[in-house]
Amino acid sequence: MGFFVFLPLILPLTAVPIARLTEQHLHPRGAARLMTVISAVMAVCSVLCLGLIGVVGTAQIPGNPLPDSWSDPEVRAALPYHETVGTAAMWLLVLVSAACARTVGRHLRVRSRARRALTGLPAGPGPAGDLAVLPDRSPYAYALPGSPGRVVVSTGMLAGLPEDEREALLAHERAHLRHRHHRYLLTTQLAACVNPFLRPLQHAVAFSAERWADEESAQEVGDRRITARAVARAALVSHATPPGFAAFAAPTATPGPVPRRVAALLGPVPTSRNWPPAKTRAGLAAMVAAAGTAASALCALNAAVALLVVLKAVTPL
Amino acid sequence: MADERHAPAAVEAPARRRGQGELEAQVLAVLQQAPGPATAGWVQERLEGDLAYTTVMTILSRLHAKNAVSRSRSGRSYLWQASSDAAGLAALRMRRMLDGEADRDAVLASFVTALLPHDEDLLRALLDAASADPAAADRES
Repeated sequence: MGFFVFLPLILPLTAVPIARLTEQHLHPRGAARLMTVISAVMAVCSVLCLGLIGVVGTAQIPGNPLPDSWSDPEVRAALPYHETVGTAAMWLLVLVSAACARTVGRHLRVRSRARRALTGLPAGPGPAGDLAVLPDRSPYAYALPGSPGRVVVSTGMLAGLPEDEREALLAHERAHLRHRHHRYLLTTQLAACVNPFLRPLQHAVAFSAERWADEESAQEVGDRRITARAVARAALVSHATPPGFAAFAAPTATPGPVPRRVAALLGPVPTSRNWPPAKTRAGLAAMVAAAGTAASALCALNAAVALLVVLKAVTPL
Repeated sequence: MADERHAPAAVEAPARRRGQGELEAQVLAVLQQAPGPATAGWVQERLEGDLAYTTVMTILSRLHAKNAVSRSRSGRSYLWQASSDAAGLAALRMRRMLDGEADRDAVLASFVTALLPHDEDLLRALLDAASADPAAADRES
């Protein structure tokens, strides 16, 4: 065990390069899947290791649920323990659980409130019947997951878009529902709650999910240009009431997510490969992230097995 | 769904500044309990807290603009009635949720996210590029 038990807590840093590079080098579908898996594995390993550190570290505090033999000198010699570190790990675990509970609670609340808002509304036009057009002047468009999923669009948003771009918007939202993008978002949000080093992955997955839906939409309407226009126009329509801080904020050098999406749609079709070629920077970053994930899993497994072996050796059964 | 609209109005302290969506929901709830078309004064009497007559009128007009209530002229004033327009009511409830949940974009996938200060100009330029003659662009690429 020893030092390796702490590794999964910092190994998520190996995924930072891939979070930065996938945008240009991978199809958004592959990028979203890859990064979601990486963050889920790393988050689970982080929790496991925090738990182990906590259990071992607090073994000598009276009232802990471990067997008495854990205080024996030979067990102490086999396991590294530090009461302060162990207690800190326990507190961290409590914090992490609270943050995760809050995130899940927020998801459930927003979804149920949105669903309740739509009760009594007849099925929308078209064969799918999933479209809900709400008379509201402020522009918004959301994909509301569930069974059946629904696409909620305000008349304010529809009024700002020409006919073909409306189709692109609806296709985008339906792609979110069809591919269950909310699961990717929730998974990576929870992972980022567990380990803040996973936050770059969370943002990258959120962006990739939007790009993925953009690409699906472009395929459906048959012209990437139309989807690009729809995204740009919808953003400008929504931006008509500028946020208060805009006037004070200095112009940033890097463009935000919306212009990057539009630019990507106006650029070439993304490669269909789900893994970047080995000899590029993105390929290297993907390898680093994969190695980091594997190392993280190995460390966590190693620590867990070591603990189990010791436990078995000292517990008279 | 009716419970959801009535509950917050009754229990919450009047001292807290009520949001626009909440006021609209309260006025609508009162109107739905009315036996028939009601005047603005009737609504005002039955509302929690001391709302000015003009405020009630403003809210009623706003609800009318959203098709959530209908009105008919009676002498020099209007009679108001909660409309049975499902879409209008749904829009109202949705607005309340969107106003109340700061993090909704993290949960529901929004079509577009907030823009950075510099983004607007950039988007206009991109939009021009996207609206340009597709044939010309195809020749370029």
